[in-house]
Amino acid sequence: MTAEAPPVATVDKPQEAAPSSGMRAWLSRHPLAAYAIRRLGLYVVELWGALTIAFFFFRLMPGDPIQTLIQTLQQNYVYNAQASAELIARYRHEFGLDGNILTQYLRYMEKLVLHGDLGPSLINYPTPAQTVILRSLPWTIGLLGISAVLAWVLGIIIGAIAGWRRGKLGSAIATNLSIALSHVPYFFVALILVYVFAYSMGVLPARSAYDSNLSPGFSLDFIGSVLKYGLLPGLSIVIIGTFSWILSTRMLMVPILGEDFLVYAEAKGLKGWRILTRYALRNCYLPQITAFGISLGFIFNGNVLVEQLFNYPGLGTTLVTAIQQLDFNTILGVTDMAIFSVLTAVLLLDLVLPLLDPRVKYWK
Amino acid sequence: MRIVSAVLRTIRNSRRLATGLVILGILVLLALFSPLITKAIGGGQDPVELAAYDKWLMPGPGHLLGTDQFGRDVFAMVVKALAVSLQIGAIAGVISTVAGVIVAFVAGYKGGWIDNVLSTFTGILLVIPTFPLLIALSAYAKNVSLFQVGVMISIFSWPFAAKTIRSQVLSLRTRPYVDLARVSKARDLEIIVTELLPNLLPFIGVGFASSALGAIFGLVGLEIIGLGPGGVIDLGQIIFNAISTGALTLGAWPMFVVPIALLTLLFAALNMVNIGLEEVYNPRLRGVAGE
Repeated sequence: MTAEAPPVATVDKPQEAAPSSGMRAWLSRHPLAAYAIRRLGLYVVELWGALTIAFFFFRLMPGDPIQTLIQTLQQNYVYNAQASAELIARYRHEFGLDGNILTQYLRYMEKLVLHGDLGPSLINYPTPAQTVILRSLPWTIGLLGISAVLAWVLGIIIGAIAGWRRGKLGSAIATNLSIALSHVPYFFVALILVYVFAYSMGVLPARSAYDSNLSPGFSLDFIGSVLKYGLLPGLSIVIIGTFSWILSTRMLMVPILGEDFLVYAEAKGLKGWRILTRYALRNCYLPQITAFGISLGFIFNGNVLVEQLFNYPGLGTTLVTAIQQLDFNTILGVTDMAIFSVLTAVLLLDLVLPLLDPRVKYWK
Repeated sequence: MRIVSAVLRTIRNSRRLATGLVILGILVLLALFSPLITKAIGGGQDPVELAAYDKWLMPGPGHLLGTDQFGRDVFAMVVKALAVSLQIGAIAGVISTVAGVIVAFVAGYKGGWIDNVLSTFTGILLVIPTFPLLIALSAYAKNVSLFQVGVMISIFSWPFAAKTIRSQVLSLRTRPYVDLARVSKARDLEIIVTELLPNLLPFIGVGFASSALGAIFGLVGLEIIGLGPGGVIDLGQIIFNAISTGALTLGAWPMFVVPIALLTLLFAALNMVNIGLEEVYNPRLRGVAGE
């Protein structure tokens, strides 16, 4: 922390004085507002930068999506003659692939920002890309969201106990297991689970999100089927996720445990459980909520590998299909959404955290 | 010399760090001796050649882990692939760490607008989802060398290393001994090399281990969805083969269990190194004896 900034010197040039110094004086009187404005500015810059990098990165991929589309159409006997130049030009325009890359970029950004329009998808032509994405979104949010919440709750409970009873055998086992397994990809666990439960024992389904004989709807059968099909992929995420939350909770707790205020609480004769939840864990809630918020932002990435393995109709599977067929609009749509959600989650947390935690000060 | 003895002392004092390094060492040795191991298995011929043996042999004395769909010895393949995975990790780890350290030092030490620009740029790269970009990048790279794949993957892993190291540079920059060096007219580079670098070694270690871990998994992920660059057979490729040839239904478990076990061991070791280093520079995290 630096000392108070010196008061703004009165400017001797009259024409400059009014707006800027008034503004500056107001901002120095309201550090929180100044911080919020700066933070919002950074958010806009980061969002624009990330979207731009993503756009150019994917557009520079080799291959011609229009040729792929035409081939697909020919295979489906939509027409069997050679596609005319006119037709190709029309498709190019429709997918926003005509003109040089700068014009394409400006037009893409304009559509995206002003109309929220991603253009048509190629994997499901002529459905708009945003429709394709919205169709797969609930599956990803359902599967990953529920698993993430479960893992977070379990991890905090077990982590707190492991930190609290440190030095005991059970806690040592939990800690060391977490250290060993918290960075193992979900996919590995998923593959082993599939092998054991779906192939060796044949008790749980290995592919898809629900029984294909059922039609989606709010019937008991369908919901049961969704849960049954989601059990294995969900379980793999919960297992590994729990380990990493155990680790971070324990790391937040251990440094606090020797503090005076805990000794005082004990001296007051409070019960151990109450000290743990009200005193020791209080210091972990905020950072863990922050971390959880950021991890939720990353959900939109879809866990590509797990979804691929189970052929789950979520974002990850959509993304891989789109990349294989050079469907730029859908690829960019998924990527843009992931970027937007992560940045927005971090922004909200950065703005809300100083209000909740008196120790956090982002401004000088 | 001072640095070497400091490093050795650190390792001796942290059981976790030592364990992680020992496991890593064993895996590296296994990879280094992979040519000898494959020779011993093949007994004069190449055990990973197509149709070297019969297809889908079960694990037994002749073939410790059985053979795959082309009659290649799985054990020899796994050892070879482990070497490839480790090389990728090392290449990407070194590149990311060097880039991360340079960016972190320039940003953290110089401060001001340079820091703002570099940090914003690092922040931007950190929020773009890596995996889709990697998939896209692999479309360019159908026939690439191992080294090129390593470079490709490190494009995405340096921002993380830079972020970790920068926050430390910022906290070290204002320490009294750095001010003292400044007052005594030491040059920037001199201060960085003699005063800052030794104190940052654990963080650089963490940056390296994380980047290596990310790179190895990045390539494994690409291979698993069948989009890996051609000409590189790593552990992910074997897992992909196992899935796509139906090893799961045939009960040929070694083909995917062994690569997964090796990778899990590798990730566990790298994570132990990470946590061990964190405990070294943050003594408050150290557990009580007996953990």
